[in-house]
Amino acid sequence: MDQLTAPVTTAGPRRVADRRTMVGVAAMLVAVALIVSVGDPGRIAWVRTFFVIFGSLLIQALPFVMLGAFAAALVEVFVPIGVFEKLGALPRPLQLPAAALAGLAFPICECGSVPVARRLMQRGLMPSAAVTFMLAAPVLNPVVIASTYVAFRGRSTLWTMVGGRFLLGMLVAIAVGWVVGNRSKEQLLKPNPEEEHEDLLELGRPEARWRRFFVHLGNDFLFMGRYLLLGATIAAAIQTFLPTSLLTGVAARPVISVLTMMALAAALSLCSESDAFVAASFVQFGPAAQLGFLVFGPMVDMKLVALYAGTFRRPFARTVVVVSAVATLVGALWVGVAFG
Amino acid sequence: MSDAIVARTGARVLDESAPPRRWSPTRLAGTIVLGAWAGLFWFLWLTGREAFYLSTRTEWVVPVAAALLTAATIGRLASAKVTTPKPIAARELWIMGLMVVPVVLVVFSHPATLGSFSAGKRAGFSGTSVAASASDIGSGELTLIDVAAGETSPDGERALAKRAGEQVDFVGFVSIRDDTPADEFLLARYVVTCCVADATIAEVRVVNVTPGQFSNEDWVRVRGTIFPLGREVIVDASDVGAVDRPDHPYLTP
Repeated sequence: MDQLTAPVTTAGPRRVADRRTMVGVAAMLVAVALIVSVGDPGRIAWVRTFFVIFGSLLIQALPFVMLGAFAAALVEVFVPIGVFEKLGALPRPLQLPAAALAGLAFPICECGSVPVARRLMQRGLMPSAAVTFMLAAPVLNPVVIASTYVAFRGRSTLWTMVGGRFLLGMLVAIAVGWVVGNRSKEQLLKPNPEEEHEDLLELGRPEARWRRFFVHLGNDFLFMGRYLLLGATIAAAIQTFLPTSLLTGVAARPVISVLTMMALAAALSLCSESDAFVAASFVQFGPAAQLGFLVFGPMVDMKLVALYAGTFRRPFARTVVVVSAVATLVGALWVGVAFG
Repeated sequence: MSDAIVARTGARVLDESAPPRRWSPTRLAGTIVLGAWAGLFWFLWLTGREAFYLSTRTEWVVPVAAALLTAATIGRLASAKVTTPKPIAARELWIMGLMVVPVVLVVFSHPATLGSFSAGKRAGFSGTSVAASASDIGSGELTLIDVAAGETSPDGERALAKRAGEQVDFVGFVSIRDDTPADEFLLARYVVTCCVADATIAEVRVVNVTPGQFSNEDWVRVRGTIFPLGREVIVDASDVGAVDRPDHPYLTP
């Protein structure tokens, strides 16, 4: 874990890959191929379940990481740096809600919003606004609103869930942005080791735009992909072994039920575009707990914690988790009291 | 004389403006990882195996990802020659190798779907609002989604109760738990909205089956008479036969 969260600097000598390393990596891949094709570990029920869930999480999430990396590379290479500096000059009370509402125009799930936010910070957008955007986009985007509507259609809590998710999601994202305050990007972001070793200058001049675009695209995908892999492994293990029936015993307890559903959302690591259908299936839980699930899940889950750990410095990643959790809990309980 | 000077000066200018480019190991390794993932998405799309991981609603991401990753691979390869290549760290190369492991797992493992192991761990499908309103359940051909939706809301339950005694025809997999009597099994099917991670389960209890004829995970077609009993639905089987796993093993609400 320390390797993930400690500042990645070039301190200390790096062991350079040689022929032996290449042979070792190739041998590992051949061994994995032989084990799964000849040994067929999928005969064991839990192994098969783990493989299917792990594969589905990656196959579902990686295209969105790619789309996010694509958008981030476009921002890096084609958007003039002055654009974000102008936005950064707006007063914060205006900037944060505007950043949150920008999610409405950005139909991308949580995995895609992390590389975009990181790149926005690097291009001069105020970090608090970039963080607000990162957390709000997966909750506020039109696809998510529509899927929440469809999942709860026909229930008396329909508008509590749709409106509550939108408003509470926006408020929680703004709250985190507010706590980030005036911290600089250097205080929040970890350097990308992919980029540290990239020299995008040729004889002191920048490389051609198209080359820089593809280099940034690849770097962002490879950087986010490794943390997504880690998060998907943990989430798949939890999904394989956690029986959801364990949770039904706490459904009637107000605070604990909200906390339980928030923890479940973090553990399951669902895409924000589909989580409403799972939340709706927990009919024994009230609207406050279901709302906690719908707001907290797209901001903090196993995949995201891994992505945050790779992208941001440890104190900031902790801030995102804690402030999101507290703000969601308070907001969901209020909704429970007002509309439950 | 002047020719010689021009020629020599010209050569020097050319050398300085376009120094030789060599392959960057870091960019090449990244290209291989991107290419492997692009290959996986093409593989899933061409073999139809994406249906084992995603719902029909989200299958579109597979060709899109395949195209984007292929473009990214080609673009990265085209920009993989640099003037001052730096060596790749051993740790970095191992990480790149680990990023290819999921590709190897999916391509080389035998095709598999979520089975009976998860059946008891998943929440029941609650879809009155998605695919089956009480009026849908009350008329037309009953599907497993209708039945499962009917089990989770009072309106659906009442609508389903009115269908008692009707003939049904369901396809699903067999799930047998420790307390399942010998002449019964649970007929189950996962309902997937986005990917398998959000799967919920739709199941009915099938009675009057030959003991020992089927085991866990077998795909079967059950025809019989339906009897909704509160939150449980029983199908009195008149005909149970083995079938191949459907191309789309999960239901989409």
